[in-house]
Amino acid sequence: MANSNLPRRIIKETQRLLSEPAPGISASPSEDNMRYFNVMILGPTQSPYEGGVFKLELFLPEEYPMAAPKLGRICLDILKDKWSPALQIRTVLLSIQALLSAPNPDDPLSENIAKHWKSNEAEAVETAKEWTRLYASGA
Amino acid sequence: MGNFWSGRRRHNYFHYPPPPPPPHHHHLPPPYYYSAESHPPPPPPPPSQGYFITNTYVTPPPLPAPPLPPTSHPQAHSFSYPNGYSNCPNYGNSMTGRYQYQPYYVNQGTSGWPAIRPTAGPANPPPPYVDHQAAKKVKNDVNVHKDTLRLEVDERNPDHHLVSFVFDALYDGSITIFYFAKEVETCKFIPLFPEVEPVRIPFHKGAGQNFCQTSGTGIDLGFFALDDLSKPSEGEDVFPLIICAETYSRTPSADENLSESTPDVSPNMQITQAVLEKNGSGSFQVKVVRQILWIDGARYELRELYGIGSSTAADFNDSDPGKECVICMTEPKDTAVLPCRHMCMCSECAKALRLQSNKCPICRQSIEELIEIKINNSNQ
Repeated sequence: MANSNLPRRIIKETQRLLSEPAPGISASPSEDNMRYFNVMILGPTQSPYEGGVFKLELFLPEEYPMAAPKLGRICLDILKDKWSPALQIRTVLLSIQALLSAPNPDDPLSENIAKHWKSNEAEAVETAKEWTRLYASGA
Repeated sequence: MGNFWSGRRRHNYFHYPPPPPPPHHHHLPPPYYYSAESHPPPPPPPPSQGYFITNTYVTPPPLPAPPLPPTSHPQAHSFSYPNGYSNCPNYGNSMTGRYQYQPYYVNQGTSGWPAIRPTAGPANPPPPYVDHQAAKKVKNDVNVHKDTLRLEVDERNPDHHLVSFVFDALYDGSITIFYFAKEVETCKFIPLFPEVEPVRIPFHKGAGQNFCQTSGTGIDLGFFALDDLSKPSEGEDVFPLIICAETYSRTPSADENLSESTPDVSPNMQITQAVLEKNGSGSFQVKVVRQILWIDGARYELRELYGIGSSTAADFNDSDPGKECVICMTEPKDTAVLPCRHMCMCSECAKALRLQSNKCPICRQSIEELIEIKINNSNQ
């Protein structure tokens, strides 16, 4: 099955993620598939996402670590052409956490939100806070 | 004593033709490894420009398109392009999963993940070949700690400067200090200004010794222009300050015969080449540009490796993240990338990486050469 022949690297990374989790980040492997992780990232303090809990799914493809983990739609260069096998699940999740602290409106997923962010940042930040409260407040 | 490796000058018998000599080593001695070791002579070069054969796999020249099928490729040379790189004996692991057509996670259930299948063949053209070679271990008899090299004012003679540094020596020998000298042949230096004579000071063997040039033997640097002191000149061949540390012999019992009757013994010497910069407070700061080692007639340029300090196979601890290969996180690191000098991988992962990338995993700089360095502590 999928969990047999799991590379030692993935086992080690998983053990270290569980034994020494990065602050504000939790990642736990699925029981059915050790390459599939349920991730939770807390919104960084001092950011509009503070108080929010952001859930992600992370999947390690067969090529991992020669290929990046799969993480859904996140515009982050290290998940694409800037991936390096020296990066790890932990460093990827830390990068995403950092992206919440410093969103990059020049490389947006949503064109509209980026436009809003650039034209009226204060208002966009308020919207982000509101949506964090509505859609990412625990539970 | 330190162990040093020589990347550039290693003539590994596994590859042919020999790589072109790097541009900054003009005065190479003739090849020395074949005679000194039991290696077979290098095979004759192929008819025209070729590629290296490294330890386990044949790497083709860079190809403009995915290399399947190999026969359709209009290459002048024919080379073996085995199915699925099956001649890589240890690659049946996860690192090169893309060559194993066994998608096993097709059912992702309700997770919403699409079934991702390994792509058929490499997504990108294979990266350019690089030399993958094993390091030769050499032992130097004398080592000047380059970070300790200083120029200090001679207190009894305030116009003059004295050299000081810390060094280790396995045998007795001597230090020679040159200013503005050129290496004219193996281990022979000629000062550009004959009136500035080299200073030669003998030493006894011992580790961690402080070398302090004796008062009165220093030099008045006012003789030179500040600009000349701060950089090498004449095509980078002449350095403002050169420290030659030389050991007399590895067999002290032969002392009596040494003076005249052993003309062809090549000296074992470490050469430290430096420039001098005047800092804000008016004193000179020594900046070591490079260190060269001559051992048994072979010349080595000393370079530091990043990550080697924490990587010794002998005391490798499975749970220490600093010592493990950054890719498999299992084997100890034993392979360094050149030119960036990141010691970060085990040799198997280095080979696997090379099948799909030519970027250093640490800094993303292009890989030009891989050097495998086996550190064996029991030997020291």
